[in-house]
Amino acid sequence: MASAEAAVAATDDNTRPSPSGDSRPGSLLAAALLLPGVLPLAAPLLAPLAARAEAAPEQAVIAVKHLDYQDWQPGLKRTRVTAPSAYLLLPLNPQWSLEASAVSDTVSGASPRHHTAVSGASRQTEKRHAGDAKLTHHGERDSWSVGIASSDENDFHSDSLSAGAAWSTADNNRTWNTGIAYTRDRIGATGNPALDERRRTLQVLGGVTQNLSAHDVGQANLSFSLGDGFYSDPYKFPDKRPDTRNQLAAMLRWNHHLPASGATLRSSYRYYADTFGIRAHMVELEWAQPLGQGVRLSPSLRYQTQRAAKFYVDPVYDARLGEPFPPQWTPGTIGSADQRLAGFGALGLGLRLDVDINAHWSADIKLQHYQQRGNWRLGGDDSPGLARFSARWLQLGLSYRF
Amino acid sequence: MKPTCPHRFLAPALAIALAGLGGCTAFNPPQPWERGALAKPEMRLDGDPLQQRFDQHVYTSKENASGGYGIGGGGCGCN
Repeated sequence: MASAEAAVAATDDNTRPSPSGDSRPGSLLAAALLLPGVLPLAAPLLAPLAARAEAAPEQAVIAVKHLDYQDWQPGLKRTRVTAPSAYLLLPLNPQWSLEASAVSDTVSGASPRHHTAVSGASRQTEKRHAGDAKLTHHGERDSWSVGIASSDENDFHSDSLSAGAAWSTADNNRTWNTGIAYTRDRIGATGNPALDERRRTLQVLGGVTQNLSAHDVGQANLSFSLGDGFYSDPYKFPDKRPDTRNQLAAMLRWNHHLPASGATLRSSYRYYADTFGIRAHMVELEWAQPLGQGVRLSPSLRYQTQRAAKFYVDPVYDARLGEPFPPQWTPGTIGSADQRLAGFGALGLGLRLDVDINAHWSADIKLQHYQQRGNWRLGGDDSPGLARFSARWLQLGLSYRF
Repeated sequence: MKPTCPHRFLAPALAIALAGLGGCTAFNPPQPWERGALAKPEMRLDGDPLQQRFDQHVYTSKENASGGYGIGGGGCGCN
Protein backbone atom coordinates (compact mmCIF):
# COMPACT_ATOMS: atom_id res chain seq x y z
CA MET A 1 0.00 0.00 0.00
CA ALA A 2 1.35 3.36 -0.92
CA SER A 3 1.30 5.23 2.32
CA ALA A 4 -0.20 8.66 2.16
CA GLU A 5 1.63 9.60 5.28
CA ALA A 6 3.95 12.40 4.42
CA ALA A 7 7.09 12.39 6.49
CA VAL A 8 7.39 15.48 8.54
CA ALA A 9 11.07 16.22 8.94
CA ALA A 10 10.95 15.63 12.64
CA THR A 11 9.68 12.11 12.24
CA ASP A 12 12.52 10.97 10.04
CA ASP A 13 14.31 8.12 11.73
CA ASN A 14 17.69 9.65 12.41
CA THR A 15 18.19 8.35 15.91
CA ARG A 16 19.73 5.01 14.97
CA PRO A 17 23.50 4.84 14.91
CA SER A 18 25.00 4.86 11.45
CA PRO A 19 26.10 1.48 10.12
CA SER A 20 29.75 2.50 10.32
CA GLY A 21 29.33 3.36 13.94
CA ASP A 22 30.46 6.92 13.25
CA SER A 23 28.32 9.85 14.15
CA ARG A 24 26.87 11.54 11.13
CA PRO A 25 27.68 15.23 10.63
CA GLY A 26 24.12 16.17 11.45
CA SER A 27 24.29 14.25 14.72
CA LEU A 28 27.56 15.90 15.69
CA LEU A 29 26.14 19.31 15.01
CA ALA A 30 22.99 18.49 16.91
CA ALA A 31 25.07 17.33 19.88
CA ALA A 32 27.13 20.49 19.81
CA LEU A 33 23.98 22.55 19.73
CA LEU A 34 22.85 20.99 22.98
CA LEU A 35 25.50 23.05 24.78
CA PRO A 36 23.85 25.74 26.91
CA GLY A 37 23.42 29.02 25.13
CA VAL A 38 24.34 27.67 21.75
CA LEU A 39 20.92 26.70 20.49
CA PRO A 40 19.31 30.07 19.86
CA LEU A 41 22.45 31.40 18.24
CA ALA A 42 22.78 28.36 16.04
CA ALA A 43 19.22 28.26 14.76
CA PRO A 44 20.13 29.69 11.35
CA LEU A 45 22.83 27.00 11.03
CA LEU A 46 20.40 24.23 11.90
CA ALA A 47 17.66 25.44 9.61
CA PRO A 48 19.20 24.00 6.44
CA LEU A 49 19.33 20.58 8.11
CA ALA A 50 15.65 20.73 8.83
CA ALA A 51 14.61 22.29 5.57
CA ARG A 52 14.56 19.01 3.65
CA ALA A 53 11.14 18.03 4.90
CA GLU A 54 10.78 15.42 2.17
CA ALA A 55 14.41 14.31 2.07
CA ALA A 56 15.06 10.84 0.77
CA PRO A 57 15.71 8.21 3.45
CA GLU A 58 19.38 8.09 4.46
CA GLN A 59 19.53 4.31 4.83
CA ALA A 60 18.31 1.41 2.77
CA VAL A 61 16.11 -1.17 4.48
CA ILE A 62 15.54 -4.80 3.59
CA ALA A 63 13.00 -6.59 5.75
CA VAL A 64 11.35 -9.99 5.72
CA LYS A 65 8.37 -11.10 7.74
CA HIS A 66 6.42 -14.30 8.15
CA LEU A 67 2.74 -14.39 9.07
CA ASP A 68 0.95 -17.39 10.50
CA TYR A 69 -2.81 -16.81 10.80
CA GLN A 70 -5.59 -19.06 12.05
CA ASP A 71 -9.27 -18.27 12.62
CA TRP A 72 -12.01 -20.40 14.06
CA GLN A 73 -15.60 -20.54 15.27
CA PRO A 74 -17.02 -22.82 17.93
CA GLY A 75 -16.59 -26.36 16.68
CA LEU A 76 -14.62 -25.55 13.55
CA LYS A 77 -11.17 -24.27 12.65
CA ARG A 78 -11.84 -22.23 9.56
CA THR A 79 -8.99 -20.53 7.72
CA ARG A 80 -5.23 -20.91 8.05
CA VAL A 81 -2.91 -18.52 6.23
CA THR A 82 0.85 -18.59 5.99
CA ALA A 83 2.40 -15.62 4.28
CA PRO A 84 6.09 -14.86 3.85
CA SER A 85 6.73 -11.31 2.70
CA ALA A 86 9.62 -9.00 1.88
CA TYR A 87 10.07 -5.23 1.91
CA LEU A 88 12.68 -2.96 0.34
CA LEU A 89 13.31 0.74 0.86
CA LEU A 90 16.13 1.99 -1.33
CA PRO A 91 17.41 5.58 -1.54
CA LEU A 92 18.62 5.92 -5.13
CA ASN A 93 20.17 9.36 -4.62
CA PRO A 94 19.26 12.48 -2.58
CA GLN A 95 16.23 13.11 -4.80
CA TRP A 96 14.83 9.66 -5.48
CA SER A 97 13.85 6.61 -3.48
CA LEU A 98 12.19 3.29 -4.26
CA GLU A 99 9.92 1.31 -1.96
CA ALA A 100 8.59 -2.16 -2.79
CA SER A 101 7.06 -5.18 -1.13
CA ALA A 102 5.92 -8.65 -2.10
CA VAL A 103 3.87 -11.30 -0.33
CA SER A 104 2.79 -14.85 -1.09
CA ASP A 105 -0.23 -16.16 0.81
CA THR A 106 -1.23 -19.78 1.13
CA VAL A 107 -4.82 -20.01 2.37
CA SER A 108 -6.39 -23.25 3.44
CA GLY A 109 -9.46 -24.23 5.42
CA ALA A 110 -13.19 -23.69 5.35
CA SER A 111 -15.29 -20.69 4.48
CA PRO A 112 -18.90 -20.30 5.61
CA ARG A 113 -21.56 -20.26 2.91
CA HIS A 114 -24.12 -18.37 4.90
CA HIS A 115 -24.14 -16.92 8.37
CA THR A 116 -22.00 -19.23 10.42
CA ALA A 117 -23.38 -22.57 9.35
CA VAL A 118 -20.71 -25.20 9.75
CA SER A 119 -22.63 -27.59 7.51
CA GLY A 120 -22.38 -25.19 4.61
CA ALA A 121 -18.67 -24.67 4.84
CA SER A 122 -16.55 -25.51 1.81
CA ARG A 123 -12.92 -26.62 1.97
CA GLN A 124 -10.39 -24.64 0.03
CA THR A 125 -6.67 -24.27 -0.61
CA GLU A 126 -5.54 -21.23 -2.54
CA LYS A 127 -2.47 -19.18 -3.22
CA ARG A 128 -2.23 -15.43 -3.64
CA HIS A 129 0.75 -13.45 -4.87
CA ALA A 130 0.82 -9.71 -4.43
CA GLY A 131 3.35 -6.94 -4.82
CA ASP A 132 3.65 -3.20 -4.92
CA ALA A 133 6.27 -0.60 -5.78
CA LYS A 134 6.47 3.14 -5.28
CA LEU A 135 8.94 5.62 -6.74
CA THR A 136 9.27 8.90 -4.88
CA HIS A 137 10.92 12.17 -5.85
CA HIS A 138 12.05 14.25 -2.88
CA GLY A 139 12.26 18.03 -3.23
CA GLU A 140 13.19 20.75 -0.78
CA ARG A 141 9.74 21.00 0.79
CA ASP A 142 7.72 18.67 -1.34
CA SER A 143 7.64 15.16 -2.66
CA TRP A 144 5.62 13.28 -5.20
CA SER A 145 5.32 9.62 -5.93
CA VAL A 146 3.84 7.11 -8.32
CA GLY A 147 3.01 3.55 -7.41
CA ILE A 148 1.72 0.29 -8.81
CA ALA A 149 0.28 -2.72 -7.06
CA SER A 150 -0.95 -6.08 -8.22
CA SER A 151 -2.57 -9.09 -6.59
CA ASP A 152 -3.26 -12.42 -8.23
CA GLU A 153 -5.05 -15.59 -7.19
CA ASN A 154 -6.83 -18.29 -9.16
CA ASP A 155 -10.24 -16.59 -8.98
CA PHE A 156 -9.31 -12.94 -8.51
CA HIS A 157 -6.92 -10.44 -10.06
CA SER A 158 -6.37 -6.82 -9.08
CA ASP A 159 -4.21 -4.04 -10.52
CA SER A 160 -3.79 -0.60 -9.04
CA LEU A 161 -2.11 2.65 -10.03
CA SER A 162 -1.55 5.45 -7.53
CA ALA A 163 0.01 8.89 -7.29
CA GLY A 164 0.68 11.06 -4.27
CA ALA A 165 2.12 14.43 -3.36
CA ALA A 166 3.11 16.17 -0.12
CA TRP A 167 4.10 19.68 0.85
CA SER A 168 5.69 20.91 4.06
CA THR A 169 5.46 24.34 5.65
CA ALA A 170 8.57 26.47 6.05
CA ASP A 171 9.06 25.40 9.66
CA ASN A 172 8.69 21.72 8.71
CA ASN A 173 6.11 21.20 11.43
CA ARG A 174 3.18 20.61 9.09
CA THR A 175 2.89 18.48 5.97
CA TRP A 176 -0.13 18.38 3.69
CA ASN A 177 -0.57 15.22 1.70
CA THR A 178 -2.87 14.04 -1.03
CA GLY A 179 -3.18 10.96 -3.19
CA ILE A 180 -5.28 9.26 -5.82
CA ALA A 181 -5.51 5.61 -6.82
CA TYR A 182 -7.38 3.63 -9.44
CA THR A 183 -7.94 -0.10 -8.97
CA ARG A 184 -9.33 -2.61 -11.44
CA ASP A 185 -10.43 -6.03 -10.23
CA ARG A 186 -11.39 -9.12 -12.20
CA ILE A 187 -13.50 -11.66 -10.33
CA GLY A 188 -14.01 -15.32 -11.19
CA ALA A 189 -15.00 -18.42 -9.26
CA THR A 190 -13.43 -21.83 -8.90
CA GLY A 191 -15.80 -24.37 -10.41
CA ASN A 192 -17.68 -21.74 -12.42
CA PRO A 193 -15.59 -20.76 -15.44
CA ALA A 194 -18.49 -18.75 -16.83
CA LEU A 195 -18.15 -16.16 -14.09
CA ASP A 196 -16.01 -13.27 -15.32
CA GLU A 197 -16.92 -10.04 -13.58
CA ARG A 198 -15.25 -6.64 -13.15
CA ARG A 199 -14.99 -4.01 -10.44
CA ARG A 200 -13.40 -0.55 -10.61
CA THR A 201 -12.53 1.72 -7.73
CA LEU A 202 -11.30 5.29 -7.63
CA GLN A 203 -9.87 6.43 -4.32
CA VAL A 204 -8.75 9.90 -3.25
CA LEU A 205 -7.15 10.90 0.02
CA GLY A 206 -6.18 14.18 1.65
CA GLY A 207 -4.57 14.77 5.00
CA VAL A 208 -2.32 16.77 7.21
CA THR A 209 0.46 15.71 9.60
CA GLN A 210 1.35 18.17 12.35
CA ASN A 211 4.06 18.30 14.99
CA LEU A 212 1.89 19.46 17.90
CA SER A 213 4.73 19.84 20.38
CA ALA A 214 8.20 18.48 21.06
CA HIS A 215 6.51 15.26 22.22
CA ASP A 216 3.36 15.02 20.11
CA VAL A 217 2.64 14.39 16.47
CA GLY A 218 -0.85 14.12 15.01
CA GLN A 219 -2.41 13.29 11.71
CA ALA A 220 -5.84 13.67 10.14
CA ASN A 221 -6.70 11.85 6.90
CA LEU A 222 -9.91 11.81 4.91
CA SER A 223 -10.39 9.30 2.11
CA PHE A 224 -13.21 8.75 -0.38
CA SER A 225 -13.64 5.72 -2.53
CA LEU A 226 -16.02 5.40 -5.48
CA GLY A 227 -16.56 1.87 -6.72
CA ASP A 228 -18.75 0.12 -9.23
CA GLY A 229 -18.99 -3.43 -10.49
CA PHE A 230 -19.43 -6.86 -8.98
CA TYR A 231 -19.57 -6.95 -5.17
CA SER A 232 -21.47 -10.19 -4.61
CA ASP A 233 -19.72 -13.24 -3.18
CA PRO A 234 -19.66 -15.96 -5.85
CA TYR A 235 -19.22 -18.65 -3.17
CA LYS A 236 -22.35 -17.78 -1.22
CA PHE A 237 -25.94 -18.40 -2.23
CA PRO A 238 -28.16 -16.54 -2.15
CA ASP A 239 -25.91 -13.47 -2.21
CA LYS A 240 -26.57 -10.40 -4.32
CA ARG A 241 -25.20 -6.98 -3.45
CA PRO A 242 -25.53 -3.52 -5.00
CA ASP A 243 -23.23 -2.84 -7.94
CA THR A 244 -21.94 0.46 -6.60
CA ARG A 245 -20.20 1.16 -3.35
CA ASN A 246 -18.92 4.53 -2.17
CA GLN A 247 -16.86 4.69 1.01
CA LEU A 248 -15.68 7.40 3.35
CA ALA A 249 -13.02 7.03 6.04
CA ALA A 250 -11.88 9.72 8.45
CA MET A 251 -8.74 8.84 10.38
CA LEU A 252 -7.17 10.62 13.34
CA ARG A 253 -3.79 9.52 14.69
CA TRP A 254 -1.85 10.89 17.60
CA ASN A 255 1.49 9.77 19.04
CA HIS A 256 2.65 11.06 22.41
CA HIS A 257 6.13 10.54 23.86
CA LEU A 258 6.65 10.53 27.63
CA PRO A 259 10.19 11.73 28.37
CA ALA A 260 10.19 10.47 31.97
CA SER A 261 9.70 6.82 31.06
CA GLY A 262 10.82 6.94 27.45
CA ALA A 263 7.51 5.32 26.50
CA THR A 264 5.30 6.28 23.58
CA LEU A 265 1.52 6.13 23.37
CA ARG A 266 0.30 5.55 19.82
CA SER A 267 -3.40 6.11 19.27
CA SER A 268 -5.81 6.24 16.38
CA TYR A 269 -9.51 6.59 15.69
CA ARG A 270 -11.37 5.96 12.43
CA TYR A 271 -14.92 6.69 11.40
CA TYR A 272 -16.16 4.76 8.39
CA ALA A 273 -19.36 5.00 6.33
CA ASP A 274 -20.40 3.50 3.01
CA THR A 275 -23.40 3.30 0.71
CA PHE A 276 -24.03 -0.30 1.80
CA GLY A 277 -25.28 1.32 4.99
CA ILE A 278 -22.35 0.25 7.16
CA ARG A 279 -21.13 2.68 9.80
CA ALA A 280 -18.11 1.79 11.89
CA HIS A 281 -15.92 3.25 14.62
CA MET A 282 -12.44 1.97 15.38
CA VAL A 283 -10.14 2.92 18.26
CA GLU A 284 -6.61 1.57 18.62
CA LEU A 285 -4.07 2.18 21.37
CA GLU A 286 -0.50 0.96 21.57
CA TRP A 287 2.01 1.53 24.36
CA ALA A 288 5.68 1.25 23.28
CA GLN A 289 7.86 0.75 26.34
CA PRO A 290 11.68 0.64 26.03
CA LEU A 291 13.20 -2.00 28.29
CA GLY A 292 16.84 -1.10 27.68
CA GLN A 293 19.56 -2.74 25.56
CA GLY A 294 17.59 -1.92 22.39
CA VAL A 295 14.55 -3.93 23.49
CA ARG A 296 11.04 -2.50 23.26
CA LEU A 297 7.75 -4.11 24.33
CA SER A 298 4.49 -2.82 22.85
CA PRO A 299 1.11 -4.08 24.06
CA SER A 300 -1.87 -2.89 22.03
CA LEU A 301 -5.65 -2.80 22.18
CA ARG A 302 -8.06 -2.38 19.26
CA TYR A 303 -11.83 -2.11 19.27
CA GLN A 304 -14.19 -1.81 16.32
CA THR A 305 -17.96 -1.61 16.22
CA GLN A 306 -19.95 -1.74 13.00
CA ARG A 307 -23.57 -1.39 11.97
CA ALA A 308 -24.97 -4.03 9.62
CA ALA A 309 -25.34 -3.37 5.91
CA LYS A 310 -28.90 -2.39 5.02
CA PHE A 311 -29.27 -5.54 2.88
CA TYR A 312 -27.77 -7.92 5.44
CA VAL A 313 -30.30 -10.63 6.29
CA ASP A 314 -30.63 -12.16 9.74
CA PRO A 315 -30.87 -15.96 10.04
CA VAL A 316 -34.65 -15.98 9.66
CA TYR A 317 -35.76 -18.07 6.71
CA ASP A 318 -38.64 -18.19 4.29
CA ALA A 319 -41.37 -20.49 5.58
CA ARG A 320 -41.81 -22.11 2.19
CA LEU A 321 -38.26 -22.22 0.83
CA GLY A 322 -36.50 -22.77 4.15
CA GLU A 323 -32.82 -22.26 4.90
CA PRO A 324 -30.86 -20.36 3.55
CA PHE A 325 -33.49 -18.25 1.81
CA PRO A 326 -34.69 -15.12 3.63
CA PRO A 327 -38.42 -14.36 3.82
CA GLN A 328 -40.03 -13.32 0.53
CA TRP A 329 -36.87 -14.17 -1.37
CA THR A 330 -37.09 -14.13 -5.16
CA PRO A 331 -34.24 -14.47 -7.68
CA GLY A 332 -32.46 -11.14 -8.04
CA THR A 333 -33.32 -9.92 -4.56
CA ILE A 334 -30.57 -7.78 -3.05
CA GLY A 335 -29.45 -9.49 0.12
CA SER A 336 -26.52 -11.21 1.79
CA ALA A 337 -25.97 -13.33 4.88
CA ASP A 338 -22.23 -12.66 4.93
CA GLN A 339 -21.21 -12.36 8.58
CA ARG A 340 -18.80 -9.57 7.67
CA LEU A 341 -21.77 -7.42 6.68
CA ALA A 342 -23.47 -7.99 10.05
CA GLY A 343 -23.60 -5.70 13.07
CA PHE A 344 -20.98 -6.71 15.62
CA GLY A 345 -18.14 -5.54 17.82
CA ALA A 346 -14.57 -6.77 17.60
CA LEU A 347 -11.79 -6.66 20.14
CA GLY A 348 -8.11 -7.18 19.44
CA LEU A 349 -5.20 -7.61 21.84
CA GLY A 350 -1.63 -7.50 20.63
CA LEU A 351 1.88 -7.79 22.01
CA ARG A 352 4.96 -6.87 20.02
CA LEU A 353 8.62 -7.22 20.94
CA ASP A 354 11.33 -5.29 19.07
CA VAL A 355 15.03 -6.02 19.48
CA ASP A 356 17.75 -3.87 17.92
CA ILE A 357 20.50 -6.44 17.56
CA ASN A 358 23.12 -3.96 16.34
CA ALA A 359 23.34 -0.92 14.08
CA HIS A 360 22.34 -3.01 11.05
CA TRP A 361 20.00 -5.72 12.28
CA SER A 362 16.74 -5.69 14.17
CA ALA A 363 14.11 -8.34 14.85
CA ASP A 364 10.49 -8.26 15.90
CA ILE A 365 7.74 -10.63 16.90
CA LYS A 366 4.06 -9.82 17.30
CA LEU A 367 1.19 -11.94 18.56
CA GLN A 368 -2.36 -10.72 17.96
CA HIS A 369 -5.60 -12.18 19.27
CA TYR A 370 -8.90 -11.06 17.77
CA GLN A 371 -12.56 -11.82 18.42
CA GLN A 372 -15.92 -10.72 16.99
CA ARG A 373 -19.19 -11.01 18.87
CA GLY A 374 -22.59 -9.69 17.99
CA ASN A 375 -23.26 -8.44 21.51
CA TRP A 376 -19.99 -6.49 21.58
CA ARG A 377 -21.55 -4.01 19.19
CA LEU A 378 -21.79 -0.56 20.81
CA GLY A 379 -23.83 2.34 19.54
CA GLY A 380 -26.77 0.40 18.10
CA ASP A 381 -28.36 -2.97 17.34
CA ASP A 382 -26.27 -6.04 16.85
CA SER A 383 -27.09 -8.87 14.48
CA PRO A 384 -28.64 -11.86 16.26
CA GLY A 385 -27.54 -15.44 15.74
CA LEU A 386 -23.87 -14.83 14.97
CA ALA A 387 -21.42 -17.42 16.17
CA ARG A 388 -18.38 -16.05 17.96
CA PHE A 389 -15.52 -15.56 15.51
CA SER A 390 -11.91 -15.69 16.71
CA ALA A 391 -8.52 -15.31 15.08
CA ARG A 392 -4.91 -15.37 16.18
CA TRP A 393 -1.89 -14.40 14.14
CA LEU A 394 1.82 -14.37 14.71
CA GLN A 395 4.33 -12.24 12.83
CA LEU A 396 8.08 -12.81 12.88
CA GLY A 397 10.25 -10.15 11.29
CA LEU A 398 13.88 -9.39 10.58
CA SER A 399 15.25 -6.23 9.01
CA TYR A 400 18.63 -5.00 7.84
CA ARG A 401 19.65 -1.34 7.43
CA PHE A 402 22.67 -0.20 5.48
CA MET B 1 -33.77 -6.98 16.57
CA LYS B 2 -32.63 -6.12 20.04
CA PRO B 3 -33.56 -2.83 21.66
CA THR B 4 -31.14 0.00 21.12
CA CYS B 5 -27.98 -0.39 23.17
CA PRO B 6 -27.87 2.03 26.11
CA HIS B 7 -24.26 2.73 25.21
CA ARG B 8 -25.28 4.07 21.82
CA PHE B 9 -22.90 6.95 21.99
CA LEU B 10 -20.01 5.21 23.69
CA ALA B 11 -17.85 4.78 20.59
CA PRO B 12 -18.21 8.40 19.46
CA ALA B 13 -17.58 9.43 23.05
CA LEU B 14 -14.37 7.41 23.06
CA ALA B 15 -13.32 9.18 19.90
CA ILE B 16 -14.09 12.57 21.35
CA ALA B 17 -12.15 11.64 24.46
CA LEU B 18 -9.21 10.64 22.32
CA ALA B 19 -9.37 13.91 20.45
CA GLY B 20 -9.72 15.67 23.78
CA LEU B 21 -6.56 14.04 25.04
CA GLY B 22 -4.82 15.37 21.98
CA GLY B 23 -6.39 18.72 22.57
CA CYS B 24 -4.97 18.76 26.09
CA THR B 25 -1.55 18.76 24.54
CA ALA B 26 -0.47 22.34 24.28
CA PHE B 27 -0.19 23.29 20.65
CA ASN B 28 3.41 24.37 20.61
CA PRO B 29 5.13 23.31 17.40
CA PRO B 30 8.76 22.56 18.20
CA GLN B 31 11.87 24.29 16.99
CA PRO B 32 14.24 22.19 14.90
CA TRP B 33 16.48 21.47 17.91
CA GLU B 34 13.50 20.24 19.95
CA ARG B 35 12.60 17.33 17.68
CA GLY B 36 14.68 14.56 19.19
CA ALA B 37 11.72 12.69 20.67
CA LEU B 38 9.71 13.08 17.47
CA ALA B 39 12.49 11.38 15.53
CA LYS B 40 12.26 8.13 17.50
CA PRO B 41 11.13 5.12 15.43
CA GLU B 42 8.14 4.46 17.68
CA MET B 43 6.88 8.00 16.99
CA ARG B 44 6.47 7.26 13.30
CA LEU B 45 2.80 7.30 12.42
CA ASP B 46 3.07 4.59 9.76
CA GLY B 47 5.07 2.16 11.92
CA ASP B 48 6.33 -1.12 10.51
CA PRO B 49 5.25 -1.24 6.83
CA LEU B 50 4.99 -5.03 6.58
CA GLN B 51 3.08 -5.31 9.84
CA GLN B 52 0.71 -2.59 8.72
CA ARG B 53 0.09 -4.42 5.43
CA PHE B 54 -0.60 -7.70 7.25
CA ASP B 55 -2.84 -6.21 9.90
CA GLN B 56 -4.89 -4.12 7.50
CA HIS B 57 -5.25 -7.08 5.16
CA VAL B 58 -6.67 -9.18 7.99
CA TYR B 59 -9.05 -6.47 9.18
CA THR B 60 -10.37 -5.59 5.73
CA SER B 61 -11.04 -9.28 5.04
CA LYS B 62 -12.91 -9.83 8.32
CA GLU B 63 -14.66 -6.48 8.76
CA ASN B 64 -16.19 -4.09 6.31
CA ALA B 65 -14.47 -0.86 7.20
CA SER B 66 -11.26 0.15 5.49
CA GLY B 67 -9.34 3.21 4.38
CA GLY B 68 -7.82 6.24 6.03
CA TYR B 69 -4.27 4.93 6.23
CA GLY B 70 -3.16 5.47 2.66
CA ILE B 71 -4.04 4.74 -0.92
CA GLY B 72 -3.22 2.10 -3.49
CA GLY B 73 -2.41 -1.52 -2.80
CA GLY B 74 -3.75 -4.51 -4.63
CA GLY B 75 -7.21 -5.82 -3.86
CA CYS B 76 -8.00 -9.26 -2.55
CA GLY B 77 -10.65 -11.82 -3.35
CA CYS B 78 -11.04 -12.38 0.39
CA ASN B 79 -13.30 -9.34 0.69
